[in-house]
Amino acid sequence: MPSHPLRVAVVCSSNQNRSMEAHNILSKRGFDVRSFGTGTHVKLPGPTPDKPNVYDFKTTYVQMYNDLVRKDKELYTQNGILHMLDRNKRIKSKPERFQNCKDRFDLVVTCEERVYDQVVEDLNSREQETLQPVHVINVDIQDNHEEATLGAFLICELCQCIEHTEDMENEIEELLQEFEEKSNRPFLHTVCFY
Amino acid sequence: TEEEATPVDISMTTSERVVDLLNQAALISTDEKLTVLKQVQELIINKDPSLLDNFLDEMIAFQTDKSIEIRKFVIGFIEEACKRDNELLLRLIANLNMLLKDEGVNVVKKAILTLTQLYKVTLQWFAPKRLSERQEACWDLVTQMKGDVLALLDSENDGVRTHAIKFTESLIVTLSPRTPDSDIPKRQESDISLDKVPKDHSYIRYGWRWNKLLKFMIHPAISSINTTVLGSLATVARQRPMFMSEVVQAYETLHANLPPTLAKSQVSSVRKNLKLHLVSVLKHPCSLEFQGQISTLLLDLGMPQSEITRSTPAPRKPRKRPR
Repeated sequence: MPSHPLRVAVVCSSNQNRSMEAHNILSKRGFDVRSFGTGTHVKLPGPTPDKPNVYDFKTTYVQMYNDLVRKDKELYTQNGILHMLDRNKRIKSKPERFQNCKDRFDLVVTCEERVYDQVVEDLNSREQETLQPVHVINVDIQDNHEEATLGAFLICELCQCIEHTEDMENEIEELLQEFEEKSNRPFLHTVCFY
Repeated sequence: TEEEATPVDISMTTSERVVDLLNQAALISTDEKLTVLKQVQELIINKDPSLLDNFLDEMIAFQTDKSIEIRKFVIGFIEEACKRDNELLLRLIANLNMLLKDEGVNVVKKAILTLTQLYKVTLQWFAPKRLSERQEACWDLVTQMKGDVLALLDSENDGVRTHAIKFTESLIVTLSPRTPDSDIPKRQESDISLDKVPKDHSYIRYGWRWNKLLKFMIHPAISSINTTVLGSLATVARQRPMFMSEVVQAYETLHANLPPTLAKSQVSSVRKNLKLHLVSVLKHPCSLEFQGQISTLLLDLGMPQSEITRSTPAPRKPRKRPR
């Protein structure tokens, strides 16, 4: 067991679907978890693929919810976006951008390769201070509701296994190999330093 | 809540309050103890440092606590105390040495991180001085601990090796001279480096072999898949461009010698890492001489030429002659 509870961050692009689904499950299982997006804006599906709803990271989930109810309540009820925003506002008030968070984690789990690249680049661009390590792992999850749910369970299982290792840093590589075989998905992994 | 567990009596002096907290700490569970000890640390290091000397022994006694978390806390306390009052290095470095040999691997790792900081603090403190006997003994012990951590570059434990690599990275930067081309992070601007140690120092020997340190760091990394060294090499190259040739060579060797046992996804992770750090070296104005080598590596790693060109600095204009 690690000597303190694992501090986990889950990160996707807009901090709406994949990271929030994982945030929800991990916090229910008692993890010290936060969630983030790495995008410059928060994007939600719109009436057509080329017309997404775009918000900045200051907009609360409630404001987005109200905005979409006003725009087309039926559409956004039917495609599940309102339901998702309703879930999100119970977890926290608004999306957060990873690059703006100076808190420290032991483990950062990203939901797609592009997000992983952005997280690793951001962590490497920060000035090193304490040299405390942070492990970054990517688990590819498609950005839809079903995949987000499956992905969140996988992330949760991974975190539970990591938390139960005797010596996380020494065992993580092997653990990831096992998970890759079991889940049939490739994981990217690296260590950065605060 | 915390406040219920430790009621604050406003009529108490800070000293009385510390005594009270330390008495409580002897009797409570690890989590509560940690909270209480953090309060003591705040009181005797930040609020009233004149109390630090008084309560040092009581605090350090917790280094034999059975909880790993408490022992790690003591290491953090040693670091803060020594940074607050350099004189305390003479007393506390031996305690850190004991914790560096702790049976708990997480305690050892924390001790390495603290030694990374305190090595610089000690050198900075001793550099302008003629050392007393006690100070000489302190420097000898720090030097011995440095050797012990360098030996951990060969550790079987991946986490320990990672920490040893970061220690070595910091050591190479500290024990080599800063030059006008050095890319120094703001936070490290006032850090000690070799050029600030007088060449005729009465005790501190000047003849460090940085190249040897660099080779020392790279060698064990090639046989393992620990990618920490890739980032450390980039840090060294940017802060000490005089090592760029060795660093680029090391990247070439690492790239050509990836262990065949790596899984496909591990190879992807390593290659991504390599790309990221090669680009950061390439962006340094001193990369000019090595741009060919670096570009070849980047092309091999799948980076488009246009992107490589974008990361390549323009040749420097000759420096203006002083009027």
